[in-house]
Amino acid sequence: MTPATPVVLLVLALALTGPGPAALARARWPLRAPRAALVFWQAMALSALLAALGAGLSAATLVLVYQDPHPVVVALHSAALLLTLVVVARLLWSAHTLGTALRAGRRRQRHLVDLLGRADARAPGADVLDAERPLAYCIPGVPSRVVISTPAIDRLADDEVTAVLAHERAHARARHDLVLEAFAVLHNAFPRFVRSRTALDATAGLVEMLADDAARRRSGDVPLARALAGLSTAPAPPGALAATSVTPAARIRRLAHVPASAPLVSAPAYLAAAALFAIPTVAVAVPWLSAVTASLT
Amino acid sequence: MRGVVGRTRLGELERVVMDQLWAFEGPATVRQVHDALSRTRDIAYTTVMTVLDRLARKGSAEQLRDGRAYRYRPAVSREELTAELMHQALDTVDGSDRTLALLRFVDSATPDDAEALRAALAELEQRRADDGDTQP
Repeated sequence: MTPATPVVLLVLALALTGPGPAALARARWPLRAPRAALVFWQAMALSALLAALGAGLSAATLVLVYQDPHPVVVALHSAALLLTLVVVARLLWSAHTLGTALRAGRRRQRHLVDLLGRADARAPGADVLDAERPLAYCIPGVPSRVVISTPAIDRLADDEVTAVLAHERAHARARHDLVLEAFAVLHNAFPRFVRSRTALDATAGLVEMLADDAARRRSGDVPLARALAGLSTAPAPPGALAATSVTPAARIRRLAHVPASAPLVSAPAYLAAAALFAIPTVAVAVPWLSAVTASLT
Repeated sequence: MRGVVGRTRLGELERVVMDQLWAFEGPATVRQVHDALSRTRDIAYTTVMTVLDRLARKGSAEQLRDGRAYRYRPAVSREELTAELMHQALDTVDGSDRTLALLRFVDSATPDDAEALRAALAELEQRRADDGDTQP
C-alpha cells in the first residue's frame, strides 16, 4: 500500500459523481437500452460510494503503517475517519427517514384506494376511482395496486387502457420503486450544495422507458402513444414544476424511433457496468485491504 | 381470523363496511352494520367487528362508547377521502418524499405543449402506417 491509495480512490469517487453522471445523462444509447443503462447507473453509484468510503478508510488506516507518526498526521487521519463515519451515518439516516416516509405514504394510499376504489370491467384488475381528474398510477410495494380514474378510462379506448395498465403493472412487478428509492436515499444523504439531481432524474426516466417497453409489447406502440397523449393533456396542478427528465412527447418520439429491445447496445453496457464496479475494487481496494491486514498481523 | 381473511379481501370488506357506515344516518352498532350487510352477503359478525376496529384504528371511522357496546360512525366523508387521495396522487412538488411514493403513468410535473404531443403522435402513426406494421 502507498499513500497514493486514498488519492486515487478520491479522484475516482469525484469522477464518478461529477463528470461520469453528466456524460451518461447526455448519452443517447440509454434510449435504446434502458435496462442496461439502469444497471450502468447503479454500478456507477455503487462504485462512487465504495471509492469515497475507501478513500476515507484508507486515509485513516494509513496511519497504521507509519513507525512514529507526527501528531498532525494522526489528526488528519482521524479527521478522514470521522468524515467517513459521518457519510455512513448520513446514508443510514437518509435510508431510514425516506423508507419510513414512503412506506407510511403508500400504506395510507392503499387504505384510501381500498375504501374508494371499485372494480370495473373496462379496467380489469385495477382499482377504479370516481374522481374528477384523469389519472393513472401504481402504488408499489406488497401488495401493489394499479389505480385508474373514471375520467381516464372515459378518455381512452380499450387497448389504450390496456397499455396504461400494462405500463403500471410493469413498474409494480419489476419493483422500479426500489431503484428510485436507492437513488433518492443517496441524493438526500448529501448536503444541498454538493448533490445534483442528474442521477435521480435520469433513472426516473429510464424506469418509465422500461415500463413503456413492457406496455408496447402487450398492446403495441400506437395505443400506448395515444394513451400518453390522451392523459398528459390534463392541466398541471398549481405548484407543479417541471422536474423530471422524460416528457410524454419524448416518450412518444422514443416509441417511434427505438425498437423495444436492442441487445447489440445492451451487451457492451453490461460489460462496462461490471468493469466499472470491479476495476476499482480489485485494483485499489484489494491491495489496500491486504496491506492493512499485513500491518495488523 | 387473519389466516382466514386475506389482505386483499380485508381491503374489500373495509370498503363494503365503510360504504354501509356512510349510508347510515347516525352512529351504528356492530349488530346494525352486520344486519345491513347480511342482506346482500354472507358475512360473520366477528368479521364485521374486526373490520370496524381496523377502520377506527386507521382513523376512517370513529368509535363511540355507548353503555357496554361501541357505536361507529364515519370520521370523514367520502368526498374528504377522495380529496385527500387526489391531493397525494397529484402531488408533484419537487423535493417532497411523496413524489416518489407513487409511480404515475404521466407525471403532471412535466406538462408538454399540446403541439409537441400531437406532432410526436402523428409521426408515430405515420411510421406505423407506412410499415404496415401491426406487431403486437
